[in-house]
Amino acid sequence: MGVLDGITQGFAVALDPVNILYVFLGVLIGTVIGVLPGLGPTATIALLLPLTYEIEPHTAVILLAGIYYGSMYGGTITSVLLRLPGEAASVVTTFDGYEMAKQGRAGPALGVAAIGSFVGGVLAVVGLALLAPPLAALAVSFGPPEYVALAVLGILLVTYLGTGSALKSLAMAALGLLLATVGQDPIAGTTRFTFGQVALFDGLDFVAVAMGLFGVGEILHSLERTEKVQAVTSRIRNIWPSRADLRESAGAIGRGSVLGFLIGVLPGGGGVVSSLASYALEKRRAKDPSRFGRGAIEGVAGPETANNASSTSAFIPLLTLGIPANVVLALIFGALLVQGVTPGPQLIDQHPEIFWGVIASMFVGNLMLLALNIPLVGVFVQILRVRAGILAAFALLVTMAGVFSINNDATDMWVVLAFGLLGWLMKKTGFEPGPLVLAFVLGEILERAFRQTMLISGGSLGVFVTRPISGGILAVTVLIVVISIVTARRRAGVLHRHDVPEPASVEGDR
Amino acid sequence: MEQPRGQLYRLGPLIVVAVGVVALVGSVALSLGELTSPGPGLWPFVVALLLTGTGLVLLVVDDPDDYEPFTRGSARIAGGLAGLAVFVAAFEVVGFLLPAFLMLLLWLRVFGREPWRWALGLAVAGSIGLYLLFDTALGVRFPDDVVAGLVS
Repeated sequence: MGVLDGITQGFAVALDPVNILYVFLGVLIGTVIGVLPGLGPTATIALLLPLTYEIEPHTAVILLAGIYYGSMYGGTITSVLLRLPGEAASVVTTFDGYEMAKQGRAGPALGVAAIGSFVGGVLAVVGLALLAPPLAALAVSFGPPEYVALAVLGILLVTYLGTGSALKSLAMAALGLLLATVGQDPIAGTTRFTFGQVALFDGLDFVAVAMGLFGVGEILHSLERTEKVQAVTSRIRNIWPSRADLRESAGAIGRGSVLGFLIGVLPGGGGVVSSLASYALEKRRAKDPSRFGRGAIEGVAGPETANNASSTSAFIPLLTLGIPANVVLALIFGALLVQGVTPGPQLIDQHPEIFWGVIASMFVGNLMLLALNIPLVGVFVQILRVRAGILAAFALLVTMAGVFSINNDATDMWVVLAFGLLGWLMKKTGFEPGPLVLAFVLGEILERAFRQTMLISGGSLGVFVTRPISGGILAVTVLIVVISIVTARRRAGVLHRHDVPEPASVEGDR
Repeated sequence: MEQPRGQLYRLGPLIVVAVGVVALVGSVALSLGELTSPGPGLWPFVVALLLTGTGLVLLVVDDPDDYEPFTRGSARIAGGLAGLAVFVAAFEVVGFLLPAFLMLLLWLRVFGREPWRWALGLAVAGSIGLYLLFDTALGVRFPDDVVAGLVS
């Protein structure tokens, strides 16, 4: 199928009234939770996983994707107005966005961010439509060794590009891989680590694990340290930026789109890294870098564009290789697996309605977000009046009822509770739950591919290096890890100089 | 920053190592097989090795600043979790409505520090609203509800 046919089919899916409703719901929920500190895209998607059982797979991905990129828009609002990033990718926006707000230019800052996000999102959708099919065609020839290399790349990058200690993330990734082995051995069928419990024969339920670690764990953790948020009373004027504002930020938006797209494709890329990279680029390019941190509009436009572009292009590895690039996509991956759809190179051919439908829905969703954001910023800000305690109580109750509804089994509620406790303790002790869940999702694929490789190669580990594609991927892995260690120092420097507040909810989005 | 808690933070990596060692023993018991024909225990063994290894290194190099202190706030969260556990246990016996009402009341009044008026109102509205949403509208089969049984 050609790209044009695909796009036509995609819009036929995306413009179906049911799917339009779900795109709208997705971007609306996304914006709202982006505004609310304490409930980020990861937690929300985890909490909504039971809902996706009830709807078609493509509708489910459309909804979850909408929440993801919608939250990128929403996070901007509180960063600019209150210096309170609603999710981690918006931290950079506080540098100049909040300064602009103090100078009475909150309107243009939000306007430029919305326009930049729209441009970045749409360009990334185009890139996704063009780049994904050839990549999937290439990936069809991948054998087990390539999948081992890819999964290792994905897990390692998520641990290295994360915010916390890489070693601790690696430990959690190992724990995730270990938890994935609970249940029946994928090749021989022997039961492992079930301790005689029949309920564990099929392994730990991904939805319950994700809802516990991200949903319950993050709610508890953010509740513990959420301070009272002051309400925004001043009216926001002049949202539509002036012509001079647009001229100043056009270059930043263009560069942010490209940069965000490229970083999003990399496993482990995503919102946080791309917005930081864009900010650094804009600052380096500026004739007068001292303006940055004092309300430079490029410092808002670039990163906001980049984080939205990257949240779109992050779908490329998932939809073409079946490797989730970050934790949010790991959740979407899990949602698809639960529905009996395994994302991978065959997805475009076997489920074109998912592939093209999601792409087209992203275009529709970005359009909706632009229409929602520019006139309705004032309304969204009022959401901040909802107190964290009320939000947490209801979110927890809905979680419990939701997880019960999956199998009508109260055992799942206990699993969620146990993983909720674990998630909260992990957050408190600096062990990130993100790598754990990502590794948990990839665990079975990785083990199966590894054992198949061993059977094919007759037990030789050299096959990973001698096959050109898997060897290439492993070389890239090593290269990126080295680069990230070098740039991590620089990134830490950027953050340090600005003395930013911690994001209210440290998201697993990276 | 001052770390008055001494060496207590090393408990984290220690637990990681413990889990790793238990998994190592468990995988050996599952039979490792050979690289040419891997047994069911081989992959868990490799993974557990990684877990134990990282845990051991962390035991030595981990940065104590990574660990947030456990405060009065943490105690409240722990209490809230215990409340949730009571909710799940009660839910299995008497159905959704009463435990949901009590759980919301506890969280809103004690952890959210809402005034009684708000806490009571939201707890009543929330438990009934969610019951109607899940049980009546979405058709989830909650355990037989004692409170709803009284009404009908």
